[in-house]
Amino acid sequence: MHKSYCLEVAGDFACFTRPEMKVERVSYDVMTPSAARAIFEAIIWKPALQWRVTRIEVLKPIRWISVRRNEVGAIASTRNVQTAMGSGSGDLGFYVEDERQQRAGLFLRDVAYRLHAYFELRDPSFHKPHFPHLSKATVNRGEEDLCAMPDNNAVKFLSMFERRASRGQCVNQPYLGCREFACSFRLVEDMREEPQPIEETRDLGWMLYDLDYSVSAHPKPRFFPARMVNGAVVVPAWESEEVRG
Amino acid sequence: MILQALYDYYQRKPDLPREGFESKEIPFVIEVSKNGSAVQIEDTRTLDGKKKRAKNYLIPQAAKKSVNVAANILWGNAEYVLGLPDEQKLTDRRGKGKEREYEDRLKDMHAAFVDAVKALSERVQTDEGVQAVLKFIDQTKPADLERFGEIWKEIRSTNPNMTFRLQGDLELVCQRPSVINALNEAESGKGGDGICLLTGQKVKIERLHPPIKGVWGAQTSGANVVSFNLPSFTSWGKEQGGNAPVGEKAAFAYTTALNYLLARDSKQRIQIGDASTVFWADKPSSLEDQFADLFGEPPKDDPDRNARAIKALYEAPKHGIAPVDDVQTRFFVLGLSPNAARIAIRFWHVGTVAKLVKNIQQHFDDIEIDCPPYEKRYLSLWRLLVATATQNKSDNIPPNLGGELMRAILSGQPYPSSLLQNAVRRIRAEREVTYPRSAIVKACLNRARKTHEKELLMSLDEDNTDVAYLLGRLFFVLEEAQWAAHSTKTNPGTNTTIRDRFYGAASATPVTVFPQLLRLYPHHISKAAKSGRKGIAVRLEKLVDDITSKLPATNPFPSYMAISDQGRFAVGYYHQRHNFFSPNHSE
Repeated sequence: MHKSYCLEVAGDFACFTRPEMKVERVSYDVMTPSAARAIFEAIIWKPALQWRVTRIEVLKPIRWISVRRNEVGAIASTRNVQTAMGSGSGDLGFYVEDERQQRAGLFLRDVAYRLHAYFELRDPSFHKPHFPHLSKATVNRGEEDLCAMPDNNAVKFLSMFERRASRGQCVNQPYLGCREFACSFRLVEDMREEPQPIEETRDLGWMLYDLDYSVSAHPKPRFFPARMVNGAVVVPAWESEEVRG
Repeated sequence: MILQALYDYYQRKPDLPREGFESKEIPFVIEVSKNGSAVQIEDTRTLDGKKKRAKNYLIPQAAKKSVNVAANILWGNAEYVLGLPDEQKLTDRRGKGKEREYEDRLKDMHAAFVDAVKALSERVQTDEGVQAVLKFIDQTKPADLERFGEIWKEIRSTNPNMTFRLQGDLELVCQRPSVINALNEAESGKGGDGICLLTGQKVKIERLHPPIKGVWGAQTSGANVVSFNLPSFTSWGKEQGGNAPVGEKAAFAYTTALNYLLARDSKQRIQIGDASTVFWADKPSSLEDQFADLFGEPPKDDPDRNARAIKALYEAPKHGIAPVDDVQTRFFVLGLSPNAARIAIRFWHVGTVAKLVKNIQQHFDDIEIDCPPYEKRYLSLWRLLVATATQNKSDNIPPNLGGELMRAILSGQPYPSSLLQNAVRRIRAEREVTYPRSAIVKACLNRARKTHEKELLMSLDEDNTDVAYLLGRLFFVLEEAQWAAHSTKTNPGTNTTIRDRFYGAASATPVTVFPQLLRLYPHHISKAAKSGRKGIAVRLEKLVDDITSKLPATNPFPSYMAISDQGRFAVGYYHQRHNFFSPNHSE
């Protein structure tokens, strides 16, 4: 049995962008599992850790705000970079004034969530080759050898997470869907004194669960039928049948 | 959720075009007998205002074409269907010496039309209607149709769209069951390559979604809700529709539903500021029919339409009309505005019909204020918005305000603060406390009211001791005294009244204005009394005494008033003026 942790996060704005409306952005009504995962990862993450979100509770009524912002429409050209690398010099500038795009967004405002998640240690044989520079051991070490390594045990990471989360430490500032919507967080240890989530039940439709990075060059999105019951979305396991993609 | 709701709406409406079909205006229908002879040509157009408009038919979706030859199934313009040259084009080409080329092209077009029918499955070929059409094409030359006189002349000169009907049938040939089945089969034969995020099924993913037409300000050819038209909008090297996997069927369904809601004569659309707003329920509901009447500007030939709708809204619970189902029935409101070839979602509201009705009633309660008999009692959203815009022009309504206002109404939350600010600013700039403006101010203040503050009433509230409200009342009385002193039968009033000169200062910094006005006022009263307006003078004096006695003894005139106080000032002024002129008081 894994130990489950609960974080309370709150922020002024949030945008959990729907993929179908990511140009003129529209948020999902409720935080997506991948956004919740990113918050846990902001506190502690390494290749061996995999956060699994189990439950998302909505603490404040769902409210919206419509905002227009200036962004750019172009992306830097790979070819220009390659040419510049070849010749040793070149113009890699990016002129915002020429590439201006006004984009509208329908964001959430004044949000607070309680996120429940646990983590697992990943089978190192998969990720080790991808992150050789992060590994203290050589890539060629045998499997059994790796599992027996004393520094890769769950207890160590559990206590690391508890310590960091309770002190408010993080690797990067956790955010609500988009980096610009930073949020505060708090480790919830005793659920008995916490407020109830909002009294609302609604069908949220098919929601983005996360991207499947197993083919890292072509990550594939996976979706699940989300339903908020009395303010809580129960997130099915990644491997379960309802999760499709 | 937005696309899903539209998708569900499409499933709910069986009369929307099925996949592979679209709704199009077809002016002429050729009726053929079983042996392929033309019985008659029906002109489906009817007068709509000054213009003739053809009837809409569900027909197989148009082939995408630009300069190439591409025929539609069982319908097309006269060039395709009959191989009939377009007179205009013919003379044009003749002038350029390209007559032969046009004739060749015409042959190709007609042949493509026949081939398109023959390419359908064998079952379709044996269909009576289709056979009749093929026989008709075989036997008939354009010249044979000249017997249809006027209609024929018009077809020759306008190259209109046309299609076929079998004699004795009600539906068109392209609507016969075997044709529909054949088209459906052709659509479902495509293999799946991804998970549709609307249905969760493995289907073929749409690369480019059909365009949405009818959003004001967007391109007339249509714009897109789901599109990835610039490189920075894509992720992970995916292209176009691959960024947001939506199945072809689902994409067709949601766009068809949205286009239907946005259509020109749709009863389920309304323009709010710059947002084209559509609304629908997930089950048939009377609110679906009433919504536009509640918020829209009533048509000129039926000015009471919104009053009736609002009355019905209030009375529905009384008569028990609102069924219990409405607690479950969900209602969707979607505001769309154009943004550079794309369509942005301005607002999106989902609520149950019952809750929504309550919120809408609350809005009309909040907005209600006494008005002169010549004004319309219920204010449409447009009238409210335009009252806050410079020069009362729709173009000057701040963008986003309409959407924010609608959101506030539907969700029952406080009105946007910019609404109050704009209304107060317009009042000060024009020194006109109009009916819609005071209604807005009253509604905004009441909704944002803290518990200890007194609610602003519909009409004059003599017990309200709020300083700003009292000063507003006092200001009107002082203005009226000035008018009574100066106006005579031949000269109505003065050129510049104290309102013209002092309204702004009086409402924002009372201490700089009121002492001076109160010094002038006894002179105005005595002059009015001397020039035969004794009655009015007495009444005004009573009012001033009454108001000033309610003002605090120390520091009665604040040195500065915030926006909300300026709002109360305006409402006080409006209430007092309305009360003063209402029939049961005036002399």
